[in-house]
Amino acid sequence: MLSIKNLHASVEGKEILKGINLEIKAGEVHAIMGPNGSGKSTLSQVLAGNEAFEVTEGEVLMDNRNLLDLATEERAREGIFLAFQYPVEIPGVSNMQFLRTAVNALRAHRGEDEMNAAEFMKLARETSKQVDLDPAFLKRGVNEGFSGGEKKRNEIMQALLLQPRLAILDETDSGLDIDALKVVADGVNALKSKDRAVLMVTHYQRLLNHIVPDFVHVLANGQIIKSGGRELALELEERGYGWLGVKDEVATS
Amino acid sequence: MKPAPTLSSAFLEPRGNSLPAPLLNLRQQRGKALTDMPLPTRKTENWKYSSRYLKLTDALAAGLPANGQTGPALAVDGYHVVFHNGIMVPEASDFPDIDGIRIERFADLSDEIAMELAERLDNTLDNNAVQLARLNAARFEDGLYIRLKPGAVLDQPLFVISETDASVSGSAYPRIYVDAGTSSQITLVEEFITTGGEPAMVNAVTEFALADGANVTNVRLSLDGENVQHLGATGARLQGHARFDSHTVGFGGPLRRHDLQVRLEAPGAECRLNGVVVTQHKQHYDNHTTIEHIAPHCTSEETYRNIAADESHAIFNGRIHIHRDAQKSNANMSNKNLLLSTGAEIDTKPELEIYADDVKCAHGATVGQLNEESVFYLVSRGIGRQEARTLLSMAFINELIEQIPVPAVRETAQLRLNRFFEQTVVEA
Repeated sequence: MLSIKNLHASVEGKEILKGINLEIKAGEVHAIMGPNGSGKSTLSQVLAGNEAFEVTEGEVLMDNRNLLDLATEERAREGIFLAFQYPVEIPGVSNMQFLRTAVNALRAHRGEDEMNAAEFMKLARETSKQVDLDPAFLKRGVNEGFSGGEKKRNEIMQALLLQPRLAILDETDSGLDIDALKVVADGVNALKSKDRAVLMVTHYQRLLNHIVPDFVHVLANGQIIKSGGRELALELEERGYGWLGVKDEVATS
Repeated sequence: MKPAPTLSSAFLEPRGNSLPAPLLNLRQQRGKALTDMPLPTRKTENWKYSSRYLKLTDALAAGLPANGQTGPALAVDGYHVVFHNGIMVPEASDFPDIDGIRIERFADLSDEIAMELAERLDNTLDNNAVQLARLNAARFEDGLYIRLKPGAVLDQPLFVISETDASVSGSAYPRIYVDAGTSSQITLVEEFITTGGEPAMVNAVTEFALADGANVTNVRLSLDGENVQHLGATGARLQGHARFDSHTVGFGGPLRRHDLQVRLEAPGAECRLNGVVVTQHKQHYDNHTTIEHIAPHCTSEETYRNIAADESHAIFNGRIHIHRDAQKSNANMSNKNLLLSTGAEIDTKPELEIYADDVKCAHGATVGQLNEESVFYLVSRGIGRQEARTLLSMAFINELIEQIPVPAVRETAQLRLNRFFEQTVVEA
């Protein structure tokens, strides 16, 4: 489904990704782990199409189309979804309006009719319950005044509504207490299907207790230095990154 | 050195004599007072950004034909009065006879009432500051005089539609005076619309006198046409515990200049002034507001938002003057501005003049662009870039649109704003 080949990317002239290679097939769950500053978030942002990052080399193929040729919104319509590490607060745009506009943009792309307000309201209410968000949140501004955990659950709710083909979760576990973590994990597990892939970017392995990955990759200094199965995550938890020749804490990017 | 330009005498030739004698006399006096009135130039402080857009050619001096007909069907539910080129059209108007409320056109006033009105016209405005709005008193041909007796309540908003028919060039001078008695209540909605596309000038003045405890809401929707210069003023003076709420929604044009002046003259008076202005293409919009805190214990709350696109220019000048005796004044002013393109310009100037020492006074002004992180968040969900920017621009003003207490106006404003954003390419 997604094939990343020798991907290099920089921000403000500083190279962060230094040749990433990664193959993700439909139905798979991948976890990317690594110390702070290794380039994990950059990879997520580059895949989603954040123009603040410049791709200097390499390609990203999605079903044999070059993803890097597509604008951010086109990537989303092709099925890329990024759950943000720091979701943006947008006062003045209601969550409901935002979600419905997004769902309808994707429907229009697939040649489907727009969902009317009543239909969408019903769907949104059901989905909000699935991630344990009070439906009253739908009327508030996008992420406005949400707690950290509520923002993360709102990201997962968006993934459930938009039904992406590749869901990228950027540190979705950070700042969550154990109950919220469980809710988020249940949401992600509900997303899993044979047609869909999940790419989790995380610093800690605890999320992986709830969402079991098929593959774990270690990213350090802009490159994937080791790949393995789920047991790699457990080993990282036990031994840290030092045994791989990586300092555990590098300055954050 | 070139002599300073003055108002052409062609503008001082009023038309029509169907007004009651006291108003005709007033008009003549005011006209005389304006003979050789200097026009504002770049050196005129309160016109420095706008004087070059002022084009009072003699072709605009002629009063627009007032044949008492209206152009488009105006589907307004509820109470409404229609003015066509400054002349009321009774057949197109519909409002009830309510005990204690008199809604009359100037032309129908008795000499006695006309005399009373003549003494009042312009008494809410600072003539030195409003300049061109003074022209109205020299030129009006009709108008609306609304009187509310103590305790009278108009149970629905009254819409006053001022239609400018610019099939030919010329000018129109709509005028309203509202005398709100003790504890009376009224919501007055003014809509300025244009048919025809010739260059025209609208010179509209609306005034409110609020007695103790009166409660007046004024909604002003400026939808004048693309070749209309609008030079207008609104004045309000408030007695004790009166409340004045003003909501303005304005779309740009070759020149839009509006002065809003509020005088808080007795303790407990309060006002809230909200304004939304959007400009595009090469449009120009200049709002000047003044709040005079004359008495102690008065409150003012002012929130204006401008959005300027393309090569347009929006100006906000907000003056708060707290007089020496106005202790315990509470004044809040906020003006936030959004630039949608690198060619657009916004000038904002809060002016605070405080002579009392025990007051609470806060003001803030910002000019910014859309937050790129927010744009990225929206487009990363598949929302188109243009739509994302429209959503964020609307978010900038939604709060003020939602506060407009008349649903029909909110809908009209929303429709027009949607059209504005559809026509506006928002740069990154």
